[in-house]
Amino acid sequence: MSFRHLDRYAGVPSPVTRLAPSARVLATVVLALAAALLPLGAWPQMAGLTLVVLGIAVAARMPVRVLAVRLAPPLVFVLLVSAALPVLVPGTTVAHIGPLSLSDAGLLRFGSVLGRALPALAAAVVLVSTLRFTELVQALRDLRLPRAVTTALGLAYRYLYILTDEVEQLQRAARSRNAGAGAASRRRLLMGIAAASLGRSFARSERVHQAMLARGYRDGIPALRPQPMDRRSLSALAIVCAVALGIAWTAHL
Amino acid sequence: MSVGRPLVEVRGIRYGYPGGAAALQGVSLQVSAGERLAVLGPNGAGKSTLLLHLNGLLLPAQGSVLVDGIVVSEATARETRRRVGFVFQNPDDQLFLPTLLEDVAFAPLNDGQPGPAAEARARATLRELGIEHAADRAAHHLSGGERRLAALATVLVSRPDVLVLDEPTDALDARGRRRVVDLLRGRPETLVVATHDLAAAAALCERAVVLDEGVVVWDAPLDRLLAAHPFLERHGLMAPLPDQPSGAPKRQA
Repeated sequence: MSFRHLDRYAGVPSPVTRLAPSARVLATVVLALAAALLPLGAWPQMAGLTLVVLGIAVAARMPVRVLAVRLAPPLVFVLLVSAALPVLVPGTTVAHIGPLSLSDAGLLRFGSVLGRALPALAAAVVLVSTLRFTELVQALRDLRLPRAVTTALGLAYRYLYILTDEVEQLQRAARSRNAGAGAASRRRLLMGIAAASLGRSFARSERVHQAMLARGYRDGIPALRPQPMDRRSLSALAIVCAVALGIAWTAHL
Repeated sequence: MSVGRPLVEVRGIRYGYPGGAAALQGVSLQVSAGERLAVLGPNGAGKSTLLLHLNGLLLPAQGSVLVDGIVVSEATARETRRRVGFVFQNPDDQLFLPTLLEDVAFAPLNDGQPGPAAEARARATLRELGIEHAADRAAHHLSGGERRLAALATVLVSRPDVLVLDEPTDALDARGRRRVVDLLRGRPETLVVATHDLAAAAALCERAVVLDEGVVVWDAPLDRLLAAHPFLERHGLMAPLPDQPSGAPKRQA
């Protein structure tokens, strides 16, 4: 599965991977927040924030091409969601595409949504590419997220592989019995597989919980190698906060 | 630990699953320190239910379970779970952390040991079982045999007095079975093994308890059971076939 190598750059020694995971998570949140605070049409600031994220990616030794490839699917989603804006938002018509007329206000909104989404999504992509999932869960735990949430995230990561294998097995078994010929039959098959996977996952979760209790689990999973926030991480976080919020502030002057 | 002292005592326990038939109908048995007991019986006989009572994952509706003189209850479950290590039938249910090292280090960390000490102990346990090379691998990247040993390691790291194993050779090839059997034969812990694999049971245990429909129908030396063919047949068991790898000569108590 492709998600098995999502954190390919986590093991690459770089100034970014040396920082505490909690600092990196907070920096990502601040960058996304700064992007969200930008007003419509703040093009230089949008470009500025994107450049900051690009700089972080380069410092993390992450090739820009990889960043672009990983950024494409979420950007396409944003594009699809906001594609109707130029048509729906009222304003002066500036162009026609077939029967559709595009308004200036709509285009401004459309461009601004993309311009804000780009640095925010890029920051998230850099974060998950340079941070192991376990470090991410640990960072969220360090940032005092409820234990139930962080434990569920950690378990989801461990069992995602088993669940995908299980779904593949169910699909293979169904195909071997010539199930799923024709669109309607395929839909029924998919629903059946989804139901069977859900049932199995539920039964498995009961067994896993029992095994965790048997091994002494009470209310959390202690970290083997905790990475607390050090002075360097704190300084890096402060710099990113100052730059990102500074850029957002200049847009409101 | 001297052989003879009763380490586990099961006194007339009854248990029924909600909405189901009675799984255990007055089961009594004793396991002495250093003893190796096979729990045998057909599917649905109550073997797993009995095992789950031994470390407090299920509490009897009637009767009691004592581990080293301590009555197993909600209040004592933590202490008894430390003494009784439970290895589940499916290692995927038991291994719930992203890497093998983290999984094995969980118990010492959970008991409050500092990270470096827990890691050293986890590595020593993995070395003992010959799977140290897999320390940083994820559970889904281990072979079936390695996964079984990994599940065993997560329990052995706590140095329990009693090892309870549910179908330890299930779904393993001949090499994997031999590896698990050889390893268990060399362990000093008291063993309670529920299995359908009579060859493995014969290689590991001196004594057998046969359960059928929630009742103990045999509690005597295993070699006498293996010769009692009509009895085996009556209770849904089958003596190892001559061409099965029944293992090396039995360990002398």
